[in-house]
Amino acid sequence: MILNKIYIHSFRNLEETEISFGSRFNVFYGKNAQGKTNLLESIFLLGTMKSFRMARNGDLIKWGADYGLLKGWVEKENVTREISLLLEKQGRKAKIDQKQVTKLADFFGSLNVVVFSPEEIAMVRGMPDARRRYLDRAIFSGDASYLRLYQEYYKILKNRNTLLKNGDTNGLDVWSDKLAETGARLITKRIAYLSEIKGLLGDFYSNIAGNGEEAGVIYHSHLPDKERLLADSGALLREALTKSAAEERRRGVTVVGPHRDDLEFLLNGKVLKHHASQGQQRSYILALKMAEIEYIRQRFDYPPVLLLDDMTSELDRERSRNLMEFLETKQMQVFITTTSLNNVMLKDAENYCTFSIESGKVLN
Amino acid sequence: MLYISKSLTKLLGELKKLPGVGEKTALRLAFHLLKSPANVNALAESLLEVNNKVRFCSLCFGITEDDPCAICTGDRDESIICLVEEPQDMLAIERSQSFKGHYHVLQGALSPLNGITPANLTIAELLRRFAQGNIREAVLATNFTVEGEATALYLTRLIKPLGIRVTRLAHGIPTGQDLEYVDAATMQRALEGRSEL
Repeated sequence: MILNKIYIHSFRNLEETEISFGSRFNVFYGKNAQGKTNLLESIFLLGTMKSFRMARNGDLIKWGADYGLLKGWVEKENVTREISLLLEKQGRKAKIDQKQVTKLADFFGSLNVVVFSPEEIAMVRGMPDARRRYLDRAIFSGDASYLRLYQEYYKILKNRNTLLKNGDTNGLDVWSDKLAETGARLITKRIAYLSEIKGLLGDFYSNIAGNGEEAGVIYHSHLPDKERLLADSGALLREALTKSAAEERRRGVTVVGPHRDDLEFLLNGKVLKHHASQGQQRSYILALKMAEIEYIRQRFDYPPVLLLDDMTSELDRERSRNLMEFLETKQMQVFITTTSLNNVMLKDAENYCTFSIESGKVLN
Repeated sequence: MLYISKSLTKLLGELKKLPGVGEKTALRLAFHLLKSPANVNALAESLLEVNNKVRFCSLCFGITEDDPCAICTGDRDESIICLVEEPQDMLAIERSQSFKGHYHVLQGALSPLNGITPANLTIAELLRRFAQGNIREAVLATNFTVEGEATALYLTRLIKPLGIRVTRLAHGIPTGQDLEYVDAATMQRALEGRSEL
């Protein structure tokens, strides 16, 4: 999958521009606050309709403009499609080949992107919801049917929580069963995803860190009995709901289920959050992203586009060299932002396209 | 609009209360009516007539002019009853001319989020009908949504212990549909529910 060209109009601080990209490494360099990350963000938006910086439309549209427009020309299996995203104050409208797309699931797969940015480190130390969000999005990018399951689960959960909040037990049973059944399917898909990327994660981590440390990940469910979790998560979840009935009544919410589950990141069998340095944590997240890329590549036979934001501030020299060497062996398009070209170790110069960014202007 | 005509403004306001009607559609409808006075009278009369005559059947809660309705009093199979969410679902099944039993309209589906609990549905009335003892099978024809499925499960729990056979409408690929256009979730259901020939 290759993003050949992008058109940007009234987006953040960027000047109206059309940029053609190379099929391997595209490096955006320039001083801070010139618009490098905005450029990366525009690509991410085209792929996901969302910002990786939690921005609202008002922030994305250039100051003083009524709307912003992004267009991307994406080549996949020798076919080029035009994706466009219109940002208005009230909402976003997506088109593929000039035809309106209304459902997120239909937009899915038109441009697969995986991003690694300084904000991601929060995933290691932050609250479980950041890790769940990561996991759910990663699964969805390889399996469109996951979105429907996810939405169904949360609808059941909201209905059930309303009953609990109102202290109304008539019909609660039915919602418990539905929650257990749908929740079990969600858990099964999550565990299946993690077991698929587990090996990849370990390999990528050793490539980036360049030492013998072992990276692992486990699905941390509030349900007991790890053995039964995979084989019989529905019944297990149902039992847990029954057991927590008193607590649920007291608190008025559903206290067990995949909406409360978490990921545990491990390094050498120890919890990453508590026992690893900044550098180790960053390498871990990067390896996790690389595993996600490999997962998408195996599923669809083409790799997604990788966005590396401010990579050199993220990794030390040794690690970033390992990463670049590793990426050079992979057939995939990569977009990198950096303050100085010297930070990106160029080995095979013809693989690289460089763009300097100055006060929102992109110079080739 | 006020400065042109107060009554027109009022009409627009009433039209906009209808589902699917916004500012533009309301204007279009109103100006269309202004141009054809004959239609206006007919429309107004039929609105009032419907309002006066049509009501819910006291047995099945379908719509009718005579209570009980023609289906409830008609010569139909009393041993089987079809449970639907809304009167229009009942009409959809009637159109198929493939069901000869009785109906019961639940008047909604369980949806705590929207404040709809079993007490808001016509379940007590349904149980009263079961108590009369002629019904041997209940066909659950609630929608295939989260709410419809929850309602179906709730009703199953309620009805099965009464010794009544409970069935659910099949779902999967629509008749006349090309397989290539079937979405993944429907296909999955269709495969799960495949039958031996």
